[in-house]
Amino acid sequence: MGAELFGEFPPDRDFAYTDIRTRQLADGAHLFVNEAGRFFQAEDAFAARFRENLLSLSDDAFLERHGFAFTGNDRLGAASHNYAIAERLTAPGALDYFILVPTLRCNLDCSYCQVSRVDQARSGFDWSEETLSAVLAIIDHLPTDCIKIEFQGGEPTLRPDLMRAVIARCERFAHKQFVICTNLQVLNDDIFALLDRDDLFVSTSLDGDALTHERQRTRSPERTARFFTNLRAVIDRYGPRKVSALPTIDAASPPDIDALIDSFVTHGLHSIFLRPINFQGFARKRHRESREQDDSWRSYHERFVRRLIERNWQDRSRVLEETYLSICLRRIFQPGRERHVDLRNPNPVGEDYIVVDYDGTVYPTDEARMLSRSGVIDLAIGDVWQGWQTEARDMLNRHVSNLDDPTCRTCTYQAFCGRDLIDDIARYGRIDLPRHDTEFCRRHLHLFDFLFRLLYEDDPAVRYSLSRWLRLDGTLTEFGGVFA
Amino acid sequence: MIPLRLSAVADAEQPYVAKLRTPPNSGLNPHDTLYLDGDEFGASFAGPHGLVTLEGVPPDELDGDVVVVDPATGRAERLLRAASAHNTLLVTERCDQLCVMCSQPPKKTHHDRFAQFELACLLAERGQVIGISGGEPTLYKEELLGMIERVLEARDDLAFHVLTNAQHFTDADITRLRDPRFQRVTWGVPLYAADAPLHDHIVGKDGAFRQLEDGFVRLMLSGARVELRTVLLADNVDALQDLARYVAARLRFIAAWSIMQLEHIGFARNRWRHLYVDHANRFAPIAAALDIAQLHGLPVRLFNFPRCTVPENYRHLAAASISDWKRKYAPACADCREQRDCTGFFAWHPDEALNEVQPL
Repeated sequence: MGAELFGEFPPDRDFAYTDIRTRQLADGAHLFVNEAGRFFQAEDAFAARFRENLLSLSDDAFLERHGFAFTGNDRLGAASHNYAIAERLTAPGALDYFILVPTLRCNLDCSYCQVSRVDQARSGFDWSEETLSAVLAIIDHLPTDCIKIEFQGGEPTLRPDLMRAVIARCERFAHKQFVICTNLQVLNDDIFALLDRDDLFVSTSLDGDALTHERQRTRSPERTARFFTNLRAVIDRYGPRKVSALPTIDAASPPDIDALIDSFVTHGLHSIFLRPINFQGFARKRHRESREQDDSWRSYHERFVRRLIERNWQDRSRVLEETYLSICLRRIFQPGRERHVDLRNPNPVGEDYIVVDYDGTVYPTDEARMLSRSGVIDLAIGDVWQGWQTEARDMLNRHVSNLDDPTCRTCTYQAFCGRDLIDDIARYGRIDLPRHDTEFCRRHLHLFDFLFRLLYEDDPAVRYSLSRWLRLDGTLTEFGGVFA
Repeated sequence: MIPLRLSAVADAEQPYVAKLRTPPNSGLNPHDTLYLDGDEFGASFAGPHGLVTLEGVPPDELDGDVVVVDPATGRAERLLRAASAHNTLLVTERCDQLCVMCSQPPKKTHHDRFAQFELACLLAERGQVIGISGGEPTLYKEELLGMIERVLEARDDLAFHVLTNAQHFTDADITRLRDPRFQRVTWGVPLYAADAPLHDHIVGKDGAFRQLEDGFVRLMLSGARVELRTVLLADNVDALQDLARYVAARLRFIAAWSIMQLEHIGFARNRWRHLYVDHANRFAPIAAALDIAQLHGLPVRLFNFPRCTVPENYRHLAAASISDWKRKYAPACADCREQRDCTGFFAWHPDEALNEVQPL
């Protein structure tokens, strides 16, 4: 009846804006991003019209042309917009990623041990026969044709037999990858036999030059020498692609930037995951200050990245990158490309990956394991015998989406960002702090601010590095639109 | 070139579909047509439809081929060659577009062969991807979808690749195309520009772009696998960057985007001078489009681009796309270490262009 009274409402008059949020990046430079992750930059005048709800017809035309508004008859535009939103959401697949802790024993005693450890002479801190059988049974029942296993510790090289047993059970998978997270103190024939596999990689810590590494980790000249000798041996034998190394930085006294970079470059390692000491495990006691990173850390990080950009521009033979910044950068443009489980939204736990501790307990993440170990809160979601489809897991999973957070819902970077429940619990003992009061939020606000400043910077050296980090074959001259 | 049509002498009176078998594969299936004897010039086979003698191909190269034998014309057509990854069934020569560079200019009449094609597909070697082309196959949408559904129901090892202008799907098809069987169908859909008048001009049909957008919505909503195809032309080369932005914004659901160099055949032969883009000497607009596509994570590839004609950093995108039976190489290509991965040239490519190859 309404239609007869008023006639057909012309469908192309039906005009709607997408959910556009804005943030000032610099004087006269405002970033606009919608919930699908599309973005552009504009000057003060447009920002004022936007804020005052005074957009002109030509403003509207610009927004419509670039996917920030739609008329009702643009079915493809509306469907594509929804597709782009959905594409950015995690749809966890079947379980195919395990972090296994075959032993909690370790032959080092690092000042900020993140993972908790016990002395290597102690007994009762390794997988039992029953635990091993249960893990193998879980592997046998996986429906996928791919598997990734990270051996953590403790120091997993103390139990090569357990790693061998697990790896042998994975032969049926079409795609498999193994990572041994090791301090490289032990490199014997048993370990070399494992490393000979092309699908097995080494992850280790390299805190910079020998002095820094010794102060923070090895604590004796012999052990330091052993680490560097073994690192060199692995790289000489298998090439630098075999190894990923992560530096842990004491933000209170960070190392000289070029010296740190050089200590990686001399080993042929070009991807550097710059991490401040994690407020976990023993670090909670020994490094109280690591709960929050302040502006000095963020400024160190920016200077580090700026230096990488300069060095990439000077020497085109290889590409240096800060691993996490690259991950965030690719999340802006290439949703779904990364499977970095620390930054995704929603971030469900106990679905596509789990952590199995030395005693068969199942944790949602390695950080959750540390928190439980440190006696802060028990975040176990199950065990390898009874499974982990538990109320504890479901309760955590009710709070893993940034779509539900009132602050995130107004945030310019929501589409690119994630949620890390465990990190909030670790630092604050609660998950309901206003986002802006959390380290996770401040860290990512800074990273995305920094990235968008870089993306709009008029400097060929910056564009060169950004293009490499985005894995482009060519070098772009612009990465994002500007209102005009 | 690999011969697709053979001289044939057959007992039968009506055309029939046969699967040829030579030892040691003979006798695997009661419907097979089995090798009797032959030499390098041809072979005789016997099956449910009697005897047939085929000329021009040694018998071992025919093993597993599905052929249509037409006794009246004395011809046999190799519909599905066992050794080929490029089998294509031409289901109609009618088309509702008239693209400026059409490699297979349309005809007004339609000769319905769906029954033959369906039988052939059911006899295909395991694991084949069967191409379907035209004309515009979806002008016979009911026959086409029915054939695909029945073949994929009976054969869970097969898949289809259908070239279509995607303008004949309706909202009612969305549910039908959501059937899991269609996950084994890739729709190869041409899009030449983000600018509607330019696209319409290239395909020779007013309103085509608008209808195509409707088609894309329906394919997206049905979860279809779409391979977007863009032939490089003098008309659209400078609009390629805009097209890349359009695809990144509006067609993110595509499974692949193939940017294709022109084929010197059909309408393009006479219009070559006006249509062909010498990409080896003018790669910048293509590179710019590739950069934008890669920035947004689009799975982009270059088809029919010989590897030595593509700048080194983009070379890995150049796929060996030209079908084996219509591919040729320049004499100098014999010394190239990348020939194995290289698409080469269409057999009908102008020979003077072949002199410009630079063996890698």
